[in-house]
Amino acid sequence: MRRVAITGMGIISPLGNSCESFFNSLAAGKSAIKRITTDFSEHFSGRIAAEVNFVAENHFPKQIARTLDRVSQFALAAASQAWMDAGMQLSEEKKRRAGVYLGTGMGGATTLEDSYDQLFQQKVKRLHPLTVVMVMNNAAASAISMQYGLKGPCLTFSTACSSSTVAIGEAFRLIKHDYADVILAGGAESLLTRGIMMSWESIGTLALEAEDPSTSCRPFSKDRTGFVLGEGAAVLVLESWNLAMTRGAHIYGEVVGYGSTADGEHITKPSVEGQSFAMKAALHDAGMGSDHIDYINAHGTATVANDVAETQAIKNVFGRRAYDIPISSTKSMHGHLLGAAGAVELVAAVLALKNRTVPPTATLAVPDPVCDLDYVPGKARTGVDLRTVMSNSFAFGGTNAVLIVQKHE
Amino acid sequence: MSTLERVKNIFQKNYDFPVEMIRPEATIESIGIDSLDKVDFLFALEKEFNITIPDREVSLNSIQDIINIIERLVHEQNGRSNHKDA
Repeated sequence: MRRVAITGMGIISPLGNSCESFFNSLAAGKSAIKRITTDFSEHFSGRIAAEVNFVAENHFPKQIARTLDRVSQFALAAASQAWMDAGMQLSEEKKRRAGVYLGTGMGGATTLEDSYDQLFQQKVKRLHPLTVVMVMNNAAASAISMQYGLKGPCLTFSTACSSSTVAIGEAFRLIKHDYADVILAGGAESLLTRGIMMSWESIGTLALEAEDPSTSCRPFSKDRTGFVLGEGAAVLVLESWNLAMTRGAHIYGEVVGYGSTADGEHITKPSVEGQSFAMKAALHDAGMGSDHIDYINAHGTATVANDVAETQAIKNVFGRRAYDIPISSTKSMHGHLLGAAGAVELVAAVLALKNRTVPPTATLAVPDPVCDLDYVPGKARTGVDLRTVMSNSFAFGGTNAVLIVQKHE
Repeated sequence: MSTLERVKNIFQKNYDFPVEMIRPEATIESIGIDSLDKVDFLFALEKEFNITIPDREVSLNSIQDIINIIERLVHEQNGRSNHKDA
């Protein structure tokens, strides 16, 4: 079994389109959640979201941009950053051992919705010939493999809000067990469309707009009302330890554990048992006990169902030590990126290691007796000696996924 | 505006290739458009000219071929107006 290094990271997020701007915002407790400006916002009550500031033509030639849904544009832009950050150069032979593992909840749903609008509202006679290749769930992963000519496995994972954590975890296993040497792993999501936002509104998990809209998502806080939809992508370069050392690559950290379980109970209701098993499985995979984890980036959606279940699950796994581990939900600042959430949050956790800074649950102001752990309310903590971090992702459908990353010293 | 000018405008809006490449004698392949791009480009032409280009007509080689077919189809299918939204 081989060790797996993280050697590059890239991000397109509501908090900025570079790892630096993303983490600076997190450390400052700055939220990207605000009132949306789109023309359909008047049609529903939750007029807040965490939007990405992204102009496709600043990233790609027009003839490329026009063939990619916004979700694929995000993925490709994040992958380019990660590839450059890793200083990756692969021979044709090595490209056969390099691939892409990406997570997305709904892929090119923006294009699909636009097509339906044209078809049913505008009554067009024909749809755009590239609709299929822009909508399909694997379009984003394929765009990345095409960009770099990678010939190893190119797979797309779709497990709703845990999609990208699953993608990264499965990529870790692939390299660990010697099926590949390099995987660009992460996730992308772009669903801030009228139909999808209204679907989320209907199921009743979205936050109400607060007086200061930037504080609308309040994980673990007694006054929480739900999550705020976000969009974006994050991609990490995972590679075999040997290759990273041979190349003299900068190593952010080592992926040491991955756990994945299913609740097998309910389509939306989280299971304390399922979440606990996933964290235990990741610890077991890493050969670690509960004493080893120095920070948890929580799933922390700010729904009552999640926050109470996740708190109880952490207590089940870590016992008394649960109270000593700083835990935060960065969704308070970047919103819920759904299929991209796990990747974005793993980047947050790895940058926490690198910067010795625990990002806060920025909007936690009213303690909840049922959620009584240390959620790092309000302000980041600097100068913290972190060695090992855990990132949790749980999902509608019940697929739980947990990753553990250790600092390389 | 001539048909050629309108074809050039569509090209400029959707592609970053230099518009000087769009000359009547230029072949589609020489512009750097592959088969998938071609379907996409023909779709944009259909919208601009409010026409339907039948599948059998897409064995087009040069920009001049495209202009000829557009002008014929506009005449046949849409003689009243070239602009759907006019």
